[in-house]
Amino acid sequence: MAMAALRREGRRFAAPLISSQPMTAIRSSLIAEEQTPLGLRSISTQVVRNRMKSVKNIQKITKAMKMVAASKLRAIQTGAENSRGLWQPFTALLGDVPSVDVKKNVIVTISSDKGLCGGINSTSVKISKAIHKLTAGPEKETKYVILGEKAKAQLIRDSRKDIELSITELQKNPLNYTQVSVLADDILKNVEYDALRIVFNKFHSVVSFIPTMSTVLSPEVVEKEAESGGKLGELDSYEIEGGETKGEILQNLAEFQFSCVLFNAILENACSEQGARMSAMDSSSRNAGEMLDRLTLTYNRTRQASITTELIEIISGASALEG
Amino acid sequence: MTLNLCVLTPNRIVWDSEVKEIILSTNSGQIGVLPNHAPIATAVDIGILRIRLNDQWLTMALMGGFARIGNNEITVLVNDAEKGSDIDPQEAQQTLEIAEANLRKAEGRRQIIEANLALRRARARVEAINGIS
Repeated sequence: MAMAALRREGRRFAAPLISSQPMTAIRSSLIAEEQTPLGLRSISTQVVRNRMKSVKNIQKITKAMKMVAASKLRAIQTGAENSRGLWQPFTALLGDVPSVDVKKNVIVTISSDKGLCGGINSTSVKISKAIHKLTAGPEKETKYVILGEKAKAQLIRDSRKDIELSITELQKNPLNYTQVSVLADDILKNVEYDALRIVFNKFHSVVSFIPTMSTVLSPEVVEKEAESGGKLGELDSYEIEGGETKGEILQNLAEFQFSCVLFNAILENACSEQGARMSAMDSSSRNAGEMLDRLTLTYNRTRQASITTELIEIISGASALEG
Repeated sequence: MTLNLCVLTPNRIVWDSEVKEIILSTNSGQIGVLPNHAPIATAVDIGILRIRLNDQWLTMALMGGFARIGNNEITVLVNDAEKGSDIDPQEAQQTLEIAEANLRKAEGRRQIIEANLALRRARARVEAINGIS
């Protein structure tokens, strides 16, 4: 409808008006308007009014999305904070050694399913790719396990053969530990690994999400490192009880550690996602507000210009009749 | 000298304060922990944890996990934990009966194993209540 109106005015508006960058293009075309000679009727007020209506709708929608994200954030935030205390004893006992050199690395990338959440998914994918490059080398292999649609879409393009497993639609049901432990079980069963590196966005505050990587080592590597001393050397000072062999306990421990760390990581990522969506929608509403202001000014100018033209026509018509 | 006990589940911190002594159920039996215990890391079975504060014993039902004891600091990480005082006796008894019925009905290895676990969990809860008295 806008195109038809413009054609009627005899204007030659470039395609950019309806392209993917309508806002900047319309600004430049409206500025072009000002410089055209008077006498030709400028862009009709109807067109500007339509654009104002659609921008106002967008502003309302993004404001609503921001509030929805804020309420969802509040709900998950307490869960995330409570689950933080869970993996700290593991780190105290087994240590979190990102620099351990192992043959088989598995990178678990956690991302969101829905979009419009700012840049957090891209940062996670960037970091996963960087880790992949860092840990690549002769006799070493690195594989991906992907949780979430967005990372899958980005990683499948260039690393399709390295993807072991991808799981989507995590957030359909509210997250609880049993679900995640089943998931962790699944991953551990299907993937051979010496070290699991979990990449996620840690939630520090509503405006800050730091991409983080947690490392979980497989039990064999833990034993090897414990014997060689260093950070894990303390493990030997603990006498292991309960169960037949030390190896069996260590394996159970490693599995439990993985599922706890994964649970915490998924919750933190969910919080970061909601927080990022809040700030993205907030800046979007603000942009829409500014755009609305500019359009209102244009609208008033157009309206006054058309009134002036009418007056001129009437007056010149009248003076032509008299004189 | 007192022990600092921390009982954590994935959803919340169940207990975080000082105690005098605890009795923990592990895979290889019950162990009692007094101050200045040797450092050990052990697996915790589905069972009850008894806590003593100044001559008063408190019971808690634990659903399996790990415990680390060292330097007078005890950290217990379990899948789920319930304080004995928080469990409703009748509801726990009913859950126990339902679990027993399920075990009798269960067919196939997987169902039997699951029914067994459910039974042990229900039994732990009932024991936790009885343990207080």
